[in-house]
Amino acid sequence: MTRDEVSDIVRRHLADELEVDAADITDATRLRDDLGADSMDLMILGQELKDVHGITLPEEEAVQVVTVGDAVDLVVRHLPSTT
Amino acid sequence: MSSTVAVDTTGADLGPAEVAHGAVLAAAHGIRVRLYGPAAELSPVVAGVAGIEVVDAPISIAKAADPAAAVQSTPDASIVQVARAVAAGEADAFVVAGATGPALAAGLLHVRRAKGIHRPALALPLPVPGRPVTLVDVGANVESRPDHLVQFAFMGAALARTVLGVDRPQVALLSNGEEPSKGTPDVVATHRLLAERLADSTHVEFVGNVEGTDLTAGVADVVVTDGFTGNITLKLVEGVSQTVVGEIRKAARTNPVAMLGGLLLKPALGRFRDEIDPEGPGGAYMLGLRALGVVPHGRFTRNGFEQAIVRAARGADGALTDVVHRDLQEAGALRRSPMAAATADAAAG
Repeated sequence: MTRDEVSDIVRRHLADELEVDAADITDATRLRDDLGADSMDLMILGQELKDVHGITLPEEEAVQVVTVGDAVDLVVRHLPSTT
Repeated sequence: MSSTVAVDTTGADLGPAEVAHGAVLAAAHGIRVRLYGPAAELSPVVAGVAGIEVVDAPISIAKAADPAAAVQSTPDASIVQVARAVAAGEADAFVVAGATGPALAAGLLHVRRAKGIHRPALALPLPVPGRPVTLVDVGANVESRPDHLVQFAFMGAALARTVLGVDRPQVALLSNGEEPSKGTPDVVATHRLLAERLADSTHVEFVGNVEGTDLTAGVADVVVTDGFTGNITLKLVEGVSQTVVGEIRKAARTNPVAMLGGLLLKPALGRFRDEIDPEGPGGAYMLGLRALGVVPHGRFTRNGFEQAIVRAARGADGALTDVVHRDLQEAGALRRSPMAAATADAAAG
């Protein structure tokens, strides 16, 4: 999975959950300050990534995430190996 | 009724078969039921009953010490399968016997919060004689902001209308005095917000603050508070009620005259007992998710489980989650992201 594909998954999920236009969400968009995402939103995003894509994010790294770009980078770092 | 209710049977004190007996009673109302639990115990009870399907799910996390961790680490657990069935649209509502923590965790992670909802809440109809009072929140959240409490009021009112049969529920806010200025800063702010948002409502009437003593006097249909206060209040009411009933029983057995008096009172007390039977309302209601969840107490009998299933189906048939969303939208009380709010404000000029 490429970074663009991960970004698409994350942005689509956030757009659906928070009822904003996915096209308005960029890497620089702040999860809490701009999107109003709370800890429950981030927990549910993590659960969907685990259920649908088999990606497990360490909690101690997930709590450091500030922007959508941070979240995408975190997911990319933890993509399951395809080899 | 046309809804399908998914039921986790594994947390019942009397065993999964007791829940299955409740499902048989509920199926007589035309409700379709999917029972999750040990098939070897469930199937013999429901054999030949139309509308009931058994899903073999013997793994239980009903008594897990850390419900959230258990839900995440046990995908085969009965409650997780129930929540996933609801999320997948295979059931319209769910019932979890005696496992509030796992039900909340599985509900949040799999059924998910309804759109526009800040926090799910637990509502419990207290069987107050003459006029049941639904207390929201009884423990889903330890801390709640005023905008959360406002949503709890709307959720409780929608429950009262669609499931509990109250046409225009009266909603009150629990505080330490009736005056709007009484209470913590959050309670005072919540009072102001509720008065504003419900001023023109034709569905709900805000009757202001009530004190603890009013709760059992039936002064409102729905009483709103944060989950910390609500849980303590609930336990206090239960404790006082158990102690008083126990003392009356003891007193009625102290001598022959008292025993005779007890016998004479028995028919009247029987009616009173029926009125305050905690199984009647079906249990606690998980509000604010994308489907209604009901959590009957683990010690309930088949009658209580029947009520829980019937009321879960009634909530689904009455589109409770849609009613909540519509009412909150009309009142401008939906959760909105700053980005969506800015877009809407720009569009409004």
